[in-house]
Amino acid sequence: MGDHGPGFEPDLDEGSIVARAQDGDLAAFEHLVLTYQYRLFRLAYRMLNDRGEAEDIVQETLTTSWCGLPMLADADAFGGWIYRLATNKCLDVLRKRSAHAESIVDSDDMDAIPGARARSVGWDPAHEAEWSAEQDGLTALLKTLPPAQRACWLLREMHGRSYAEIGVTLKISPTAVRGTLARARHQIAEGMSQWR
Amino acid sequence: MALDDVPRLGCGRSIDSIWATIERPPTAHEEQCDHCQTARTRLERLSEETRALRESDVHDPALKPGPGIKDAIMDVARAEVRRGSRILLRSADNGTTEISEQALSSLVRFAAAAIPGVHSRRCRIEIRPAASSIAGEDDPSGTAGNATTAGPRLIVNLRVAAAPGIDIPLMAEVLRHEISNAIPAGVGIGAGTVNITVEDLYDV
Repeated sequence: MGDHGPGFEPDLDEGSIVARAQDGDLAAFEHLVLTYQYRLFRLAYRMLNDRGEAEDIVQETLTTSWCGLPMLADADAFGGWIYRLATNKCLDVLRKRSAHAESIVDSDDMDAIPGARARSVGWDPAHEAEWSAEQDGLTALLKTLPPAQRACWLLREMHGRSYAEIGVTLKISPTAVRGTLARARHQIAEGMSQWR
Repeated sequence: MALDDVPRLGCGRSIDSIWATIERPPTAHEEQCDHCQTARTRLERLSEETRALRESDVHDPALKPGPGIKDAIMDVARAEVRRGSRILLRSADNGTTEISEQALSSLVRFAAAAIPGVHSRRCRIEIRPAASSIAGEDDPSGTAGNATTAGPRLIVNLRVAAAPGIDIPLMAEVLRHEISNAIPAGVGIGAGTVNITVEDLYDV
């Protein structure tokens, strides 16, 4: 039997995978890294609009989690905890950025991602172009939101996290999360109404 | 932040309340109210685009970290690998024998994996020295037949998640039996006590 234990059974629940990683099982931890690296990257990229910085967030968050795992009291709280770590790291980056320069809104940022506009599904190209333009519009509007509002919107709408969890992450009450989300939606919807 | 600090329409309704029922047909008020109709149209569009962005982001190959990221994370994890504490099996003038807790946990988990409806979670293992076993401590496991009677005895504390609807007392007995057999068979040490805690029921 190797250092990593016997690996794990198929269909293991996440809490059990987390518990094994807490006990030092590298295979279990690798499974968590594979599961969360994409989600955290999408969150960090939409928060920061910078590939390199988003990769740094993913790497720092998951590396930190390995050291902090044994102290996590509830194995089922891993998802919320890891999202909280990543969100707060993103907010730190944005605070540092705004200390350096005020202007972070750059609607050309999406061009920096190769293939970001290339949608794989076989849609009608005209429809696809329109669709993709609208989505670029949505992401451009997203960039105009204040950081905490953007985090709130992304965590809820893109990642389906609970109000309670988002509240803990942003250090506000679930009611305040509701209000922040409403303002974010309002601002985005207002922006969209001015497109044409 | 005040409860009322949410955007409101001219008719007094909050954006939030319209959003909450956007999947349902408009209410009688919404059908009459221009403010609500405009807001609904905008929010329906937002809802649709939100869903589209969520879908396309998940499948967008450009929105993935480079392959080196996972490797870098795992390199750090491997460099700081935790093997748990070491358990002293024997201490004598001519040397000591220790085993890592992690090696023993692996055995325990392997045994548990054979039982349907059980996912093993954290595992802590201690040892009771041979002397105190002999000194008349009880043997509640009733598995003395397959354990080394006079040697040190392990105390296994295993937490598990169980499938809902499972017969927990029966499952625990079967699990205890498997573990009590697997440890002596795997490393030649008796499993004196196997404590099982069902800490969760997992979704099937």
